[in-house]
Amino acid sequence: MVLASIVDWETLGKVAVASFLAAVGVTLAFSVAIVGATRMVEMRRDGRGVEAGAYAALMIIALAASGAAVVFGVVIMTTK
Amino acid sequence: MSDDVILVIVVATALAFDFTNGFHDTANVVATSISTRALSPRIAVGFASILNFAGAFISLEVAATVAKGIVDAGEITSTIVFAGLVGAIAWNLITWYFGLPSSSSHALIGGVVGSMVAAVGFSAVDGESLLAKVFVPALVAPLVAFSVAGIAILVAYRIVGRVRPGPVNRGFRLGQLVSGGLLALAHGTNDAQKTMGIITLALIAHGNIAADNFHVPTWVVVSSATAIALGTYSGGWRIIRTMGSRIIKMDTAQGFSAQGAGAAVIMASSHFGYPLSTTHVISGGVMGAGAARRLSAVRWGVAGNMILAWILTIPMAGAIGGVTYGITRIFGTGAVGPVVVSVAGLILIGLVFARRVQRGSPITAGAGT
Repeated sequence: MVLASIVDWETLGKVAVASFLAAVGVTLAFSVAIVGATRMVEMRRDGRGVEAGAYAALMIIALAASGAAVVFGVVIMTTK
Repeated sequence: MSDDVILVIVVATALAFDFTNGFHDTANVVATSISTRALSPRIAVGFASILNFAGAFISLEVAATVAKGIVDAGEITSTIVFAGLVGAIAWNLITWYFGLPSSSSHALIGGVVGSMVAAVGFSAVDGESLLAKVFVPALVAPLVAFSVAGIAILVAYRIVGRVRPGPVNRGFRLGQLVSGGLLALAHGTNDAQKTMGIITLALIAHGNIAADNFHVPTWVVVSSATAIALGTYSGGWRIIRTMGSRIIKMDTAQGFSAQGAGAAVIMASSHFGYPLSTTHVISGGVMGAGAARRLSAVRWGVAGNMILAWILTIPMAGAIGGVTYGITRIFGTGAVGPVVVSVAGLILIGLVFARRVQRGSPITAGAGT
């Protein structure tokens, strides 16, 4: 009961949810970028230009998402 | 005159603590990058020290909140702060010797609480605040980071599972440059400010700064940033080895997930104003990244020693801080006590280093890999 009243559970919940979304989101996006880059190289080597272009686009979008999350993190730190 | 001498000693001791903080916590930032060979040891600590230095200039919010609400600010004297700092430095050096990553923030809080109890009594410490702001976050930080890193690594393995390991390793190594950089920046922002806060409190107590006009002088920011950066560059190789390879043998995806989870948790906690220890967060992340793959991949004996060190940090730093305060009072309330303790501490550290030089350094940059 004492714990329930003195600990800021609401803020703690926000920290847990935000860090989960950020970390899992960035890992997901970066992993997709790695897959995109690897497949793009393989497709280009096999002469499959359309597929290589599609994987390149996937890689760029995923990298942009990862980069945006990093920039957002730095902005959070600098505007604290 | 006596007050001036105590102020100089407190500032020097606070900067010494800042150095041990950087030295002790280098592992938080670089261990995973070194372990997965994303960076060479020397480049990793150089990179981390530059970003720690830069991070110290980003924000000054934490500087105003050191030990706020935990101890009675009206009772704080320069000698209490000095004894608390000695407790924190001593505990940082002890845990470094045993290669155990423990929280420098908790050591500082423990040291100040211990010296405060010795000087004024338990009435000067707010137990509820200590529980809410220190003990509960200490329990929560590793659990949150453990879960987040564990889920992140499962997601990563699921996505890159069918791709050749070569490109995957190269990709995550590149990613670790960014995730490690973010961690170093976050560490500099959080940790250098504790020293700034302590020095500023000493300046207020001395009358250099008005109590109702809390601001951190530029020389304090620059000297604190320099001390933590130099400490980081010195590299606490014993703890780097524990964090990088003794808890789990990490692959690059695990390193990326652990660092990413660590950076995310630290930034989220900063953003929402819920203080968490960087050491507890990164340790939890490393364990989570290992356990998600296979529970037996984590060396639970090493993890148990770390958790024991976390539990002991506040009482031990507090006990050393309290005893130090008692020793200073043997010599009265003037500057003699802090001078005697400082000289004795310097002689002790000198003797230990002289012995180490004679025997040869057991843990080096090369051994950190």
